[in-house]
Amino acid sequence: MTGEEIGGRLHPLAVLLIARRFVGASLLPAVALLLSAGTRVIVPLLTVAVLVGVPLAILSWSRFRYRVVGRRLELHSGVLSRKVRTIPLERLRGVDVTAPFLHRLLGLVRVEVEAAAGGGSRAELSLAAVSRSEAERLREVLLGAAPRGGDEAEEARSRRLYRATRGLLALGGITSMRYLLAPAAVVGFVFNLADDLPGDVAGRAADAAADQAPTDPVLIGLLAAAGLAAVVLVAAAGSLLVDWAFTLEDDGERLSASRGLLTRRLVQLDRGRIRGVNLRDTPLRRPFRIAGATAIAAGLRGRSGGTTLAPVIRTRDAAALLRSVDPHSPDPAAPLAAHPRAALTRRLVRALPLPVLLLVVATATLSPWAIAAAVVLTALAVLLALDRYRQLGHRFDGRRLTLRGGSLLRRWSELDPAAAVSFELRSSPGQRRAGVCTLTLHLGQGAGSRRALDIGEAQAAELMALLEPRLLAPLVAAPKTGREAA
Amino acid sequence: MILREPANAIDPRMRTYWTVQALLATLAVGALVIAATATAAALGGSTAAWLIGLLGGLGVALLGCLSLVAVRVGYRHFRYEVTEHGLYVARGRLWRRHQVVPHARVQTVDTTAGPLLRAFGLVAVEVSTASAAGSTSIPGLRPEVAADLVTELARRAELEEGT
Repeated sequence: MTGEEIGGRLHPLAVLLIARRFVGASLLPAVALLLSAGTRVIVPLLTVAVLVGVPLAILSWSRFRYRVVGRRLELHSGVLSRKVRTIPLERLRGVDVTAPFLHRLLGLVRVEVEAAAGGGSRAELSLAAVSRSEAERLREVLLGAAPRGGDEAEEARSRRLYRATRGLLALGGITSMRYLLAPAAVVGFVFNLADDLPGDVAGRAADAAADQAPTDPVLIGLLAAAGLAAVVLVAAAGSLLVDWAFTLEDDGERLSASRGLLTRRLVQLDRGRIRGVNLRDTPLRRPFRIAGATAIAAGLRGRSGGTTLAPVIRTRDAAALLRSVDPHSPDPAAPLAAHPRAALTRRLVRALPLPVLLLVVATATLSPWAIAAAVVLTALAVLLALDRYRQLGHRFDGRRLTLRGGSLLRRWSELDPAAAVSFELRSSPGQRRAGVCTLTLHLGQGAGSRRALDIGEAQAAELMALLEPRLLAPLVAAPKTGREAA
Repeated sequence: MILREPANAIDPRMRTYWTVQALLATLAVGALVIAATATAAALGGSTAAWLIGLLGGLGVALLGCLSLVAVRVGYRHFRYEVTEHGLYVARGRLWRRHQVVPHARVQTVDTTAGPLLRAFGLVAVEVSTASAAGSTSIPGLRPEVAADLVTELARRAELEEGT
């Protein structure tokens, strides 16, 4: 890149947003004062807020400057104590452009720069409000793309990889356990509260409900249906709000994902930072054959370094999307090597103690309802353990390692083993008795770890030798043929 | 066994170091038990004081014995090796853990020593990668062995970088 420099101050309208931030910070004390001193103070209070807040915002705005000099981004800030942050452009991992609701009204965007300092520590830098065109220019300069390629050329080259339809988003919201858990938590809270109520209100309410139940099953049914409908509506609305018009585009070097109804968010991801892809689904999503796709990327904020490729996608379309993101991506439908039966025993041993204990207690109470509930719970635990075992699997096709695990939140991941910063093999006494172990690949830089839980010992040895023939193969002990045959 | 064992043991003085650490920890818990017993006695519950003292004493004795065994076992099963392409560390007996860090993935190599470790004339080498979970350490080495290890790791990292 040439010695091109850009820089300057934030957009003048940013003063409003900064002032709003000051007001927001002083809102709580102000309300407290208002409540204690009455409305008489409101006029002087407002005057003070304007007299102090607005000049402070203007001062803070005028002191904030950013510029790109050579290969560095510099941020100057601070009203009383001055601060200069310098960050080499090579250290930049991404530029996020967000348009929160107020920003959108003013035609501005917020630019957040993600940087990796050496040694893994992170510094996040943010430009509170700049114009859309400035954000575009910044992004190009910061990420080292052709600074003046012409927007049209850029548009023409970028290719849409995925766009979520409203119907799919709604279905995804309903079937994601995440949205369903919130109302369940509320119900649990209410029940807990009812236990603490004095005078056996809960008991009487339950009696009243019990009195009503046989006489008016239609009403109960209607209430339940209404509750369910409300939960479903909230779930669908939440998903639509967050992921509205989710679009994933590819301009050859970067993927851009934009989404959101009120706050429109644009996340960009360098193709070079993609280490693999995840597909996640839930038991509710499996019958509909839909899943969520995220990229495993180094250097991204957020949980486990996943950046969304598709909030919801039909699994039959997923393979094509994955291949356009990672050309070596294996087909998600390809069969995986199962883990030894001992892994199933271990899943059952882990799932059963609590339900079996409940079953024993329930039997002791001799209440048919309690026994029935405990039996159902035990059956569910067994089913869950069976499914958790069934989902375990791994496969290495010479380029990509595929790992699958989980049941309520099933995750299928494919990744490049060369991306691992460290390999780890763990075995507990129980695992050694069962002839299994856990192999973990740590990816680092916020991309998390991926593990093959309870993989067979022989499978682990073979897999490690294949994954890293130079590094790991010399460490693999010669297989004990006698034991293998047995 | 899936992986062969790494070649090198850590310095035998680590046994004494860990033993001292374990004794200090046991003494601290013992002091707590004595304090609890004294409090119970002061409050007039002589039965409670007896009970706390007896059970607490037994607990502390058990803790001491267990940690002494754990120190021996931990020392014997802590092994490391610098191979051509990576650093290989194995630790633990019951919960065995093998770590392999490719040389090319090593970000920093630190040599550290707390006051107690220094008193034993030992240092620890900490190897960090881009992943905190993927980082590792070798707790007890003589300074000259540690210096050799650090030089070797740096040299190998450079070699790997070239390829």
